[in-house]
Amino acid sequence: MKKTTILTITMIVTMMMVAFKPAPEKWVSSKTHVKFFSSTIAEDIEANNYKTVSTITPNTGEVVFSVPMQSFEFEKSQMQKHFNQDKFLDTKNFPKSKFTGKITNLSAINWEEDGTYNTLISGVLSIKGVSKDYNEEGTIVVSGNAITVNSTFNVILADHGIAFKDGKPSTNVAKTVEITLTAEYQPQ
Amino acid sequence: MKRKKIIKTVFILIGVGILTAGGVVYYMFNMPHRNVQASKTDYLLNAGQLVAEYLLDPAAANQKYLDESGESKILEISGTVASVSEDFNDQKVVLLKTPDNKAGISCTFTHQTNDSLKDIQKGQHITVKGVIRSGAAYDEDLEMYENVIMEKCDIVLKNTNS
Repeated sequence: MKKTTILTITMIVTMMMVAFKPAPEKWVSSKTHVKFFSSTIAEDIEANNYKTVSTITPNTGEVVFSVPMQSFEFEKSQMQKHFNQDKFLDTKNFPKSKFTGKITNLSAINWEEDGTYNTLISGVLSIKGVSKDYNEEGTIVVSGNAITVNSTFNVILADHGIAFKDGKPSTNVAKTVEITLTAEYQPQ
Repeated sequence: MKRKKIIKTVFILIGVGILTAGGVVYYMFNMPHRNVQASKTDYLLNAGQLVAEYLLDPAAANQKYLDESGESKILEISGTVASVSEDFNDQKVVLLKTPDNKAGISCTFTHQTNDSLKDIQKGQHITVKGVIRSGAAYDEDLEMYENVIMEKCDIVLKNTNS
């Protein structure tokens, strides 16, 4: 009799713990597009990356982007080589750039209702091992069983220790480059 | 008379020099991208081996496989097809991964090679050739294992089943 009671209580407590544990729902995206755009009087330079991986945790608003740097593709092979070399992004030693941040207006987003929500994200972007704080705007589109994140923001190359004193890149690569990103998430 | 001839020769030489230099610069500037499929394969491995190598010692694996100008090693990887999807650039993406592996190899094909995947089924054993872009690792922020990334891929061998 006593044993049965203890067993029952244990079962109920276990069930409650399971039931009330916040759902650690995470959304994962491996379908992404990150565009790098630099514009100077000399020329416009664009590079595209389709291999970034990202996660969003709606409960906490945490957002993570992991960008494989060698996947940036330029029209000209020489530009791509310069981009990868140690003077610029040193992708052999820093193969990935990473953003970890949080959505700061989490209450404005209804993850269960289809729609486009303006969002504020603040976090740290690490490029070439140098981290800097960013506060950026973007949109989150909730549509059926998918979420899409869009954002455009500027990166000052010198903030991440990337600076050209002379040579062609110093005149042809802008000091501030524009990054445009899109990521489509599926629930995990 | 003789002096004039020397001056003329010098000018011609300078002219030829400028044209050659210009040609080289023009060629360098417009040099096409490396053709991965037409290039020699550096390493032949299976998906599990490559992932294991990266999880064991990522720094050593990066030194071995990545190139400082981005022209990293060309690999032929054999593995089991876990999924086939498409990216935002309409390129097909094959994940080579077996359930017992922590991470797989994410292989992006090109507009030219997409068709090679037409009859490929989940569970099929294939060998894919491509260039490595980054390795596999557990990422604490993503809270998951990241796959090895390969691009410019094509199939070099396919078996009917694994």
